[in-house]
Amino acid sequence: MEEFEDFLDAGGVVEPNDDMPESYRNAVFRFIELHANSEYMGGLTERDWIPKAPGMHRKLTALAKTQDEIGHAHLLYMVAADLGIKTREEMMVDLLEGRTHFHNVFHYRVHSWTDQIAVAYLVDAAALASQQAVFKNCSYGPYKRILRRVIAEEGFHMRNGEEMMLLMAHGTETQHDMMQESINRWWLPAVQLFGPDSRPGDELLRWHIKSERNEVLRDRYVQKFVPQLLGGGFVIPDPDLRKDPVDGKWKISEIDWEPLKKTMRNGGPDSARRIADARTAWQNAEWVRKALDSSAQVPA
Amino acid sequence: MKTYEVFLKKSGKDPFTHAGSVDAPDDEMALTYAREAYGRRSEGDQMWVVFRGHVLVADEIELEMADRTHKHNDGQLVAELRRATSGNES
Repeated sequence: MEEFEDFLDAGGVVEPNDDMPESYRNAVFRFIELHANSEYMGGLTERDWIPKAPGMHRKLTALAKTQDEIGHAHLLYMVAADLGIKTREEMMVDLLEGRTHFHNVFHYRVHSWTDQIAVAYLVDAAALASQQAVFKNCSYGPYKRILRRVIAEEGFHMRNGEEMMLLMAHGTETQHDMMQESINRWWLPAVQLFGPDSRPGDELLRWHIKSERNEVLRDRYVQKFVPQLLGGGFVIPDPDLRKDPVDGKWKISEIDWEPLKKTMRNGGPDSARRIADARTAWQNAEWVRKALDSSAQVPA
Repeated sequence: MKTYEVFLKKSGKDPFTHAGSVDAPDDEMALTYAREAYGRRSEGDQMWVVFRGHVLVADEIELEMADRTHKHNDGQLVAELRRATSGNES
């Protein structure tokens, strides 16, 4: 293990067929599986908004984003499967049976179109920031290579989100109020996406899967988004938010992580409905999978 | 399901590069999935999709052991000799 860690510290990159400690293999696998599950669950939410999106252009971008998220899930499941721990199908079944997990932000109900904008703007930006921090120095080669593509497309989602948020900021009073309501609902989940402060001996950091501590990423996000939201004329739903007179940085109030822990164990406000919905989607498409499989066996 | 490797070729002079992999029930669906998963934004003007079982993997040890020293010239001796030669002229 010491030799392996020296190799990683020196910038070594691990490929699927290389020898690697089982603990590293498991940690990388769990991390990618969580990411894949989150992309998949996010894609399903996005799909829900295609018919409800206002106007053809927004329907098309919602469609494109849905395809991106499901596409990311596909790529990530392929990379995860090559680690030889679970097949792609086993990962799907585990997700749909509630045995594995996905990001906190997909455990809440999206109530309105402005909620969907808040997700695209605040949540996608948080996800992108954490993915960029993984991409920067990731020791597992296939994951790093696939992240390049994922990040490029997430950037497109985030720009769409910012564009829609700004349109609301400059819109009618009703639109502004609606956007504010959604920011009230989604600010904290977005900030919590980075997770609690990293543990001192965090293996994901030691093995160069993550390149930044959770609290560093969270703080960077706060410094960037507080001024943006205030600039749009919005209020940040945190009564203790203040600018530190010494270092001039924005400080948010202490976060109670207990509800997040419960949420991450699939016990969030909308977890059960979302997992059931994903299961229905999987079951409804079973005949397609069967038809494709059986037609593939017929000799041409 | 079978696993396929996807290769894309971008602008004219670049070589084909490995983009990733897809699972598909047969060749026809593999082409469709590969295009949808890796070529949604015209990332390549050409695409190869290869059944993973048909990719021959070379022995890494053999590749690493290839003796390269006599196949390269780092130009160090040339530089030294050039310096010596120009020294003679002055």
